[in-house]
Amino acid sequence: MLDLIREFSPGLAILLTNPQFAFIQLLNSISQGMNLFIIAAGLSLIFGVLKVINFAHGVFYMFGAYVVHTVFMDWGAPFWVGAIASALALGVIAAIIERTLFRQIYEAEHLMQLLLTFAIVLIMGDLAKVIWGTEQYSVSYPASLKGATDLGITSYPSYRLMLCVIGPLILIALYWFAERTRWGRMTKAATQDREMLAALGINVPLIYTSVFILGSALAGFGGALAAPFSSPVPGMDATLIVECFVIVIVGGLGSLWGTFVGALLYGLVFNFGSVIYPNGQDVFAYLLLLVVLLIRPWGLYGKPEAGGH
Amino acid sequence: MKRILAGAVALAAMGAGSAALAQDIKIGVLYPTSGGGAIYGGPAMVGHNLAVDEINAAGGINGRMLVTVARDSKLNPAAAASAAKEMVTKDGVDVLMGGLSSAVGLAISEVAKQEGVVYLATIPKTIQMTTSKLHPHVFRTSSNTDFEGDAMAQLIKKIGGKKVCDIQLDYAYGHDLSDGLKAALKRHAPDVEIVLNLRPKLRATDYNVFITQIMGAGCDVVTSGLWGSHFVDFAQQASPFGLFNNIKAYISGGEVASHEIAGKMGEDYPPNVISNTYELWYHAVSPNHKVFQEKIAEKSGTKETAMWPVLSYTGVRFYAEAVMKSGGTKSEGIIKALEGMTIDTPVGPRTINAADHQANTGQFWGPMVNKDGFSYKVMDPVTFIPAVIK
Repeated sequence: MLDLIREFSPGLAILLTNPQFAFIQLLNSISQGMNLFIIAAGLSLIFGVLKVINFAHGVFYMFGAYVVHTVFMDWGAPFWVGAIASALALGVIAAIIERTLFRQIYEAEHLMQLLLTFAIVLIMGDLAKVIWGTEQYSVSYPASLKGATDLGITSYPSYRLMLCVIGPLILIALYWFAERTRWGRMTKAATQDREMLAALGINVPLIYTSVFILGSALAGFGGALAAPFSSPVPGMDATLIVECFVIVIVGGLGSLWGTFVGALLYGLVFNFGSVIYPNGQDVFAYLLLLVVLLIRPWGLYGKPEAGGH
Repeated sequence: MKRILAGAVALAAMGAGSAALAQDIKIGVLYPTSGGGAIYGGPAMVGHNLAVDEINAAGGINGRMLVTVARDSKLNPAAAASAAKEMVTKDGVDVLMGGLSSAVGLAISEVAKQEGVVYLATIPKTIQMTTSKLHPHVFRTSSNTDFEGDAMAQLIKKIGGKKVCDIQLDYAYGHDLSDGLKAALKRHAPDVEIVLNLRPKLRATDYNVFITQIMGAGCDVVTSGLWGSHFVDFAQQASPFGLFNNIKAYISGGEVASHEIAGKMGEDYPPNVISNTYELWYHAVSPNHKVFQEKIAEKSGTKETAMWPVLSYTGVRFYAEAVMKSGGTKSEGIIKALEGMTIDTPVGPRTINAADHQANTGQFWGPMVNKDGFSYKVMDPVTFIPAVIK
């Protein structure tokens, strides 16, 4: 039996016979998924409230990676200071973009919104080249997370383990924000009936701005976290934005839990798929997308749209 | 009145003169100058422009000046092909030059074949361009995947490697380098076994799934062609697993010994790497080479220059020599002139083989080590492995 499996897929045979190898693949899946979750959560949050599909999210992620390089590698500040600086920098950029540009297009049709966000991708892509040049950079791991941690059955890179922890922490923090704070409740209300909210004397534009800042800061933070293993380089946003869209569509646009589950699924499908059938690395993620779209077009945790917009 | 007449005559003479000047030689150049490829295309243009400036400063070729028509190839075969086509049909270029990435090289070569214009591939390395997809109008002045595979096999033999894990990007360059290596191992070290073949996608960013498979395969040598940021990401992800410490060597044809990689990675550059490069700013093979390096340094604004200028520079020099020899820019004449031509390049004489249109462009190979006076790893000792397949 095992020989037959080995014939079909040597990778699957190793997975079945070597629990240590399977465990490492599980950790690979989770750590990759969690990094993607942090970024995709921002994309999903922005869509949930602002109803704008922000193509520029990937370029925000790229900026995050560059900023951490500047602050951590060039200026010599601690890594985490750099990561927070990335989040703050993207927050500021987001505030400016929302106030000056996005505000004009909330009522416009989707095509106009797409064009605007795509224009931002191009402009910020060129801006990054002006600021940081075109060469790729390398960002070191923070000293304390440089090596591997012994987990008993195997050792695993400490930095990737940190990603496995920080992802769920951010999930909990976002959940708490959305469900337990006044800001969260107002945000929820804004997604349902912004006129009524405005009539109640609540500053709806401020809610929009704050959501866009938070979502974009997550992209910047995620980019900073990715920088040590995904070198800052022009064009690094291209692959990522596609991965994020797969995740939020699988999970359900606008759903926090959906994004979390979608990101985990993406990690699992990519890593185990690549081991079992190496020629189909990318195919598996799209198969996942296809299956979900066929069965639940609104995503695993999304809600079916009740009659047009 | 006389004066006016004289002026008119002078003007007419000038007009005739500029008609003669319209005989400028137009070189259509394709390097990626935007997006992720700009890191290579920028330095490539520096070398190209230096060659053009030098030739024009010396009075051009038989009095005809070189003019560069540059388009962005965007690291994208479709974009490069349409740009190449436009340059031939609209701009009327006399020759096509450049190309970065094997896929782009094949695309430009196809245009050259259709349009009957000579194409000098200065960077793409897929062997197909000079074998299965060879046609009279394509010439290659860079190295190729068979030369690199051969050098890698020699190095595996030299360090006594027995079991090899091969990780290559999933496109023409990666596949062809893998084939070149396999064929060369049969010649140099038939007892060496390739136990694992991995193919991450071009522009992959997560290599953990491949790294863990290599760790489990028990190989003593890892061979690869991962280049640029692919290598940086792979190395950064593999180092915490201890991959580089557990093998005899990571032997790479991806030119990760070039300064643009080693300089940027600094202390993070992994141990046990043996790789190649066309140029090392800290290693000159001759006084001529040193002069060339200084000129490139001046144009680049740094002495720690990239390896790309020497390739684009050599391409222009080959073409200029062919125009001189054939006495014009007609494709038939250029083809005849290039076949078997030898020129002196900054790194030594290079000859284009008449049969397969491939120049014998070897590379510097060696281990990357820490050395006094450098804050990053440098190649030491530097060995030039010539492009000869025995």
